[in-house]
Amino acid sequence: MPSAVPANGFFHRHGTGVTKFTNCFLVRGDDLVQEDLWVSSVSGKILNGQEMLYGERVAPDSIVDLGGKILSPGLIDLQLNGAFGFDFSVVSEDGAMPYGKRVQQVNKKLVRTGVTSYTPTLTSQLSEVYQKALPFLAPSGATRDAAMGSESLGAHCEGPFINPNKNGIHKEAVLQSPTHGLSSLASCYGAANLTSPIKYITLAPELPGALDTIRNLTALGLTVSIGHSEASYEEARSSMQAGATMITHLFNAMEPMHHRNPGIFGLLGQTSSSLHRKPYFGIIADGIHLHHTTVKIAWNAHPDGLILVTDAMALAGMPDGTYDWTNGSRIVKNGNVLTLEENGKIAGSSIQLVDCVSNFLNWTGASVPEALKAVTETPAKMLGLVDVKGSLREGADADLVVLDLQESGVSKGKKFCVEQVWKFGEKVFDKEEDGKQA
Amino acid sequence: MRLIIRHDPEAASMYISDYIIERIKAFKPTPERPFVLGLPTGSSPVLIYKQLVQRHKAGDISFRDVVTFNMDEYVGIPREHPESYHSFMYKHFFSHVDVDPSNINILNGNAPDLEAECQEYEEKIKRAGGIELFLGGIGPDGHIAFNEPGSSLKSRTRVKTLAYDTIIANSRFFENDLKQVPRMALTVGVQTVLDAREVVIIITGAHKALALQRCIEGGVNHMWTLSSLQLHPHPLIIVDEDATLELQVKTVKSIEMAASELGFHQMLPRKRDSVVDDQILLPLPKTNGATLDVPQKDVSRSASPLLEAMSIRISQDTTVEPVDELQLSPMSARVAN
Repeated sequence: MPSAVPANGFFHRHGTGVTKFTNCFLVRGDDLVQEDLWVSSVSGKILNGQEMLYGERVAPDSIVDLGGKILSPGLIDLQLNGAFGFDFSVVSEDGAMPYGKRVQQVNKKLVRTGVTSYTPTLTSQLSEVYQKALPFLAPSGATRDAAMGSESLGAHCEGPFINPNKNGIHKEAVLQSPTHGLSSLASCYGAANLTSPIKYITLAPELPGALDTIRNLTALGLTVSIGHSEASYEEARSSMQAGATMITHLFNAMEPMHHRNPGIFGLLGQTSSSLHRKPYFGIIADGIHLHHTTVKIAWNAHPDGLILVTDAMALAGMPDGTYDWTNGSRIVKNGNVLTLEENGKIAGSSIQLVDCVSNFLNWTGASVPEALKAVTETPAKMLGLVDVKGSLREGADADLVVLDLQESGVSKGKKFCVEQVWKFGEKVFDKEEDGKQA
Repeated sequence: MRLIIRHDPEAASMYISDYIIERIKAFKPTPERPFVLGLPTGSSPVLIYKQLVQRHKAGDISFRDVVTFNMDEYVGIPREHPESYHSFMYKHFFSHVDVDPSNINILNGNAPDLEAECQEYEEKIKRAGGIELFLGGIGPDGHIAFNEPGSSLKSRTRVKTLAYDTIIANSRFFENDLKQVPRMALTVGVQTVLDAREVVIIITGAHKALALQRCIEGGVNHMWTLSSLQLHPHPLIIVDEDATLELQVKTVKSIEMAASELGFHQMLPRKRDSVVDDQILLPLPKTNGATLDVPQKDVSRSASPLLEAMSIRISQDTTVEPVDELQLSPMSARVAN
């Protein structure tokens, strides 16, 4: 239960665990509305305030006055390779701490950045890495324990079934083709890992056996994203018809749009009638991976599909220098720019998701709720979790982030600042209290 | 009757919200002796609620020892329906203030036995010690709560079918579909309102001018149910200028002059900001500079006579509504005296 300052001296019904947020702007769909929000730390869910009042006759244990700030669903990062010096794809035991412990540590730190749930992402690796790492990356919200920090919604396997010509910084030697469909995947990831720890898989649809694999994965309930691919427009379209619903970091690691062969990007030009639905697509808005205008074009083409992802990796927040990475490669960190030492390719980012939202807001002229939708409702929809995550609707998990929209003096832009983070109806981060402790 | 004229709806609402706050403060409510407040819904009181919420958030007033009774609710629409009066009250008032949820009383339009629900409501009011202050608005036909034209002026809380023009008027809130508009409502009766120690009514807008005229210049008449207020010992009506359009010049002038004599003219800057206490039936004063003969008493905006507690009256009144009971002494009795 959060520190319960009795909101109501006359009403001493303790232990309801109900918190009411007031004097705040709620992100509801494409609108910012000035409303109160009721949450329970007991169920960890968002409540219907009116029903609590008239039905349960319950007054809040505590009332949190947010002073006119924005109350958004907690942010969701669909592509996070690692953070705070830890890479999900590094399973070697030479460190002092076992892998599972390190993951938990990342979760606790990550939640303070406003990311309340995410899909830990493994880059292309040898089979043994998957077999070892995946069990620790399974969905972790079942205990509904706010102290656990950010919650895994299941792992994202980005590869190794990708096109060697679009490998980015993935080690070419470990890449495979899904020639035998599901059994290729099962022998790589481990058959037992296919259904539970893995939430979605990025693969290249032009590889032999890929379309069948997509069909089978979809039938199993997994989500398929296409990426690291040389697919033509037609091939990309076939993958959508086979069941793929997402494009992994649009524009990066794929053929650029050509006016006679629009490639994967062409999917955004589909009319909704010609395809079941347009795909979701990840966008890395770190100012390095994509030009501002490119981001805006993609958003204009399909605003409801845009999902901001960090593609951040272990070196986020570390000093500049050259660091060992997986498969014997090394990464050079120079400010926010990460490159592979051997060929200078961009090697993920070191940006925080909330800063991606600020960038997106400034680059596209999107409204605040439109920008936040790209890290809340849209990714939740993509994962099929729209009733549970990414919204402030009654019954959804009370994962919340309090944001202050500040004018950033330098570029005349705006900047979101994470003020508070709540997980399952309990406060897990407060900038003010944090400042006092430091 | 006290009639207060304010320049516009904002000023009229402000007067009432200030008045209610002062009355609650003066009452010094405690959990054992709460302030019992009757509350309306509708467009007129929205501004009042807004101001009450603002004052609460500014720390000026707490509602934690206030018990509320709402006037009415539709029958047969879910409590969660955006047009239900539960939703209205949640949206405009209860969600923003510190009223104890268990102190909130609103008629349940989905009760299995609607008659029993209404009787129980009257009992609840009684148990709470009666209503200290009943705030209300009126419809353009002078109805108070859902006591539409023709309602008995002795009516109690009951099931009421809505008049056809009310259904038409309400259809704008139900996608202009007559079929969706509730046909019935539960409402407190005229007598339930009159039983309150004090009744405060807000009337704003030109479309309610005729109703105001009928209710205060006409006789007591069940076709204009608010006119029953003439029989209440302590009513207060606050109106804006537009609502006075149908009043006689005489009525308005006498209020203005009385206010001026009492020194409110200087106190309240706007032209017709004025107060009168029991002055409506005063003869038109001379216009040759003579002054109005009004006692120079010290009247504050919240002037409220010290009445005996409502609970005393209620506890003596054992039956809810005996058929033959008269609220007023019969004329013959007075003549005999």
